[in-house]
Amino acid sequence: MPNQEIPARYGAVAQGFHWVIAALIVTQFVLANLADDLPAGARKLELLARHKSFGMTVLMLAILRLLWRLKNPPPALPSAMTPRERLVMRGTHIAFYVLLFAMPLTGWMMSSAKNYSVSWFGLFTWPNLIGKSHSAFKLLQATHEVLSDVLIAIAVLHILAALKHHFWDKDDVLRRMLPFAKSARRSS
Amino acid sequence: MNRIVMRRAALAAACLAAASLGTAPRAAGPAIRYMADPGTSRLEFSGVQAGAQFKGVFHKFTAIIIFAPDALADARFDVEIDVNSLDSEDDDRDSTMRGADIFDVAHFPTAHYVTRSFTRTASGYTALGSLTLRGVTKEVPIDFQFAATGGGARLSGTAKLKRLDFGVGQGDWKSTKSVADAVDVAFALVLKPKPAP
Repeated sequence: MPNQEIPARYGAVAQGFHWVIAALIVTQFVLANLADDLPAGARKLELLARHKSFGMTVLMLAILRLLWRLKNPPPALPSAMTPRERLVMRGTHIAFYVLLFAMPLTGWMMSSAKNYSVSWFGLFTWPNLIGKSHSAFKLLQATHEVLSDVLIAIAVLHILAALKHHFWDKDDVLRRMLPFAKSARRSS
Repeated sequence: MNRIVMRRAALAAACLAAASLGTAPRAAGPAIRYMADPGTSRLEFSGVQAGAQFKGVFHKFTAIIIFAPDALADARFDVEIDVNSLDSEDDDRDSTMRGADIFDVAHFPTAHYVTRSFTRTASGYTALGSLTLRGVTKEVPIDFQFAATGGGARLSGTAKLKRLDFGVGQGDWKSTKSVADAVDVAFALVLKPKPAP
């Protein structure tokens, strides 16, 4: 018997958080790579300003998403999943949540250490988190980059796992996060 | 208490006496020539970069200030700024600003401000003067306060200017999306008397 409180699908709010944040993160990678290819200059500054504004948006959404997640349990996993699969899934999801905070926070601290305050789309300026420090900047910059590599790695794992559930296991794991998909799958 | 009241009464009597004699009760005097003390005076600028404010200072400048509140006609400020001495607390930003597209310090190492006239305002004074920056000379008014101190005077004030009026920002840096056009200048000068040589 399924628990009454455990839904069959992710709700609209959880799906909204998932897809909006996913789109923002893809945008962040595009902006960061475009900026990396540019020489120091006005264009680079503009791209990085947008990167920082989107990054702070991710941070605010991450806070709301975590609060939502703590109040709203996710749908149950297919009973066919092995304990090891469940462990990998849990680890991946926890890593995602950690990175949702760690990426923007290291970016924000990195900007603070370089004495370049972070604006949110020119509407207001966030306070500097730490004082100016060249060594802290270098360390945070390296951390931000390493974490972005980790984020790519677990995102690849996440996508492959979703596809494996959908096409190989033929279960509901992918569709319960898709806004327009029907949840109940014909048993085959 | 009594002594203060007595002193006040004496002061009032003295003022009345002075007024009746036709002398102004406050010290009036001719304009005094000062120089800004380089160690304790401060000249800073702030702008908006990528939506966020940034600040910087010019460490080296010489300011000759000839001023007295009652001799505005004789007053004159002459300030020369070593643009190369700019410091925004980030080496990358500083070297970008020194570069050809922004201040171009290789060709324009100094900026120069000279006043033309002074007027009294509700809160202090306004000076009209011209700023020569990056080879362009434009009118820039400054608002300031002047206070005589024990060994000299303090002069503090502000000015607003538009960087693109002076060509500070060429190429991509002409875009006001990355760096706003408006720049604020603020100064706090510690003045020491320095008669003309």
